[in-house]
Amino acid sequence: MKTRSWIAVFAAAFIVFAGLALLLPRIGRGTVANVYRENERIWSVDLSKVEEPFEVTFDDGEGHVNIVEVEPGRIRVREANCPDGVCVKTGWISRGVTPIVCMPAKLVIRIDSGGDTEGFDAVTGGAG
Amino acid sequence: MAATALVLAAVLLGAGCTDAPAVKRVFAMDTYMSLKVYDGNGLSEAGAYIERLDGLLSATDEESEISALMNSKGAPVKVSEETFDLLSRALELSETLGDSFELTLRPVSKAWGFTTGKYRIPADEELSGLLELVDDGRVELDETEKTVTLPEGMMLDLGAVAKGYAADGAAKILKEHGTKAGLLDLGSSTILAFGSKPDGSKWKIALRNSTSAESFVGTIELDEGAVSTSGGYERCFYGEDGETYWHIIDPETGRPARTGVSSVTVVTESALYGDALSTALFVMGPDEAELLWRERGDFEYLMILEDGRLLISAGLDGIFAPHGSFEQAEKDVIR
Repeated sequence: MKTRSWIAVFAAAFIVFAGLALLLPRIGRGTVANVYRENERIWSVDLSKVEEPFEVTFDDGEGHVNIVEVEPGRIRVREANCPDGVCVKTGWISRGVTPIVCMPAKLVIRIDSGGDTEGFDAVTGGAG
Repeated sequence: MAATALVLAAVLLGAGCTDAPAVKRVFAMDTYMSLKVYDGNGLSEAGAYIERLDGLLSATDEESEISALMNSKGAPVKVSEETFDLLSRALELSETLGDSFELTLRPVSKAWGFTTGKYRIPADEELSGLLELVDDGRVELDETEKTVTLPEGMMLDLGAVAKGYAADGAAKILKEHGTKAGLLDLGSSTILAFGSKPDGSKWKIALRNSTSAESFVGTIELDEGAVSTSGGYERCFYGEDGETYWHIIDPETGRPARTGVSSVTVVTESALYGDALSTALFVMGPDEAELLWRERGDFEYLMILEDGRLLISAGLDGIFAPHGSFEQAEKDVIR
């Protein structure tokens, strides 16, 4: 093939692959909430696909129990047996800015993708 | 020619992926921390540094140097460079900030149940007795031997300043490793941002005034700096008398500081200074805080008052935008 044709082929390929690289991460993600125990992901839910509210209980086998409630678009810790109940006081999260943290249980709930963060880099106040 | 086109394509594809920050999450100092760096190195070193500090400074860890001090029965204890450094700076700050800031309040916090979660209201006599153990002026440091002497019966709690100290140190390590920009979120009471984000935009820090996750009252837009917040609502309980008792204690009375303040946010260069200030200003209350701001000129602050008003120093006013119902709040700018 002539040089010009090669350039055309690679330019086309580049455009296709660049487009895929940019778009693929966003396709089929929704608003995913991840639950972590000691920084290891143990459970996930796509909040944008939830139709009926439901509950999940996380018990680490060492006496720490957190009951998580999931509704369309949001998640919270409804009940927990930790002394301070900070995770319960945090309430619902629907965006990626604030995590729900239960220190004694080393349990963290974060909306890692899809959740609108309103461009915030961090949140000050609200936790001890 | 074909090879050049392929390389170019690969480079251009890759370039779009370097704007995302690298994040390290750590449980330390009784909180959940996120260390975020853009185009940087040194994350694992910074994380290791914070974990090391936690091991040295934790009042609840029996193996820590702080615990060793509290078990020393008044004998001098040799400590690591970091512990000595933090203690010297913290004691200096305590002197500057006077009666509103104390490092030896732990016996009092314990009596209220803030250290265990078993809340109670101590009687007046109990508090007067415990207050005799509160005086960080009696802590002795030997610069040559690097020893610390804590009088018997006294307790040290660096919880108010450890995170700030850790943030400053971690940022230094990251910069030494070539990191150009980063945001260290040490549990939302202490945030440190340095450098510029890849897109050149300012750091946007949302402010909360309650434990509720997404109840934002405003945003601070920063080029760089440390943001520290102390709020009564963070750790509190309700007494049978219907009163709210919180963990920010007035060192003079041994009781929760009641100066009409709901929360204080300080913006300054050093996170250690900011941490100490956010606690001290809460205890001082609006009038004394204003005097300190004029005298020092090295920090900006805002106070959300219990009556719903917002007090904000002139320098912070320019970079703070209220949200939602807070847009209607009465605002007093301190000039």
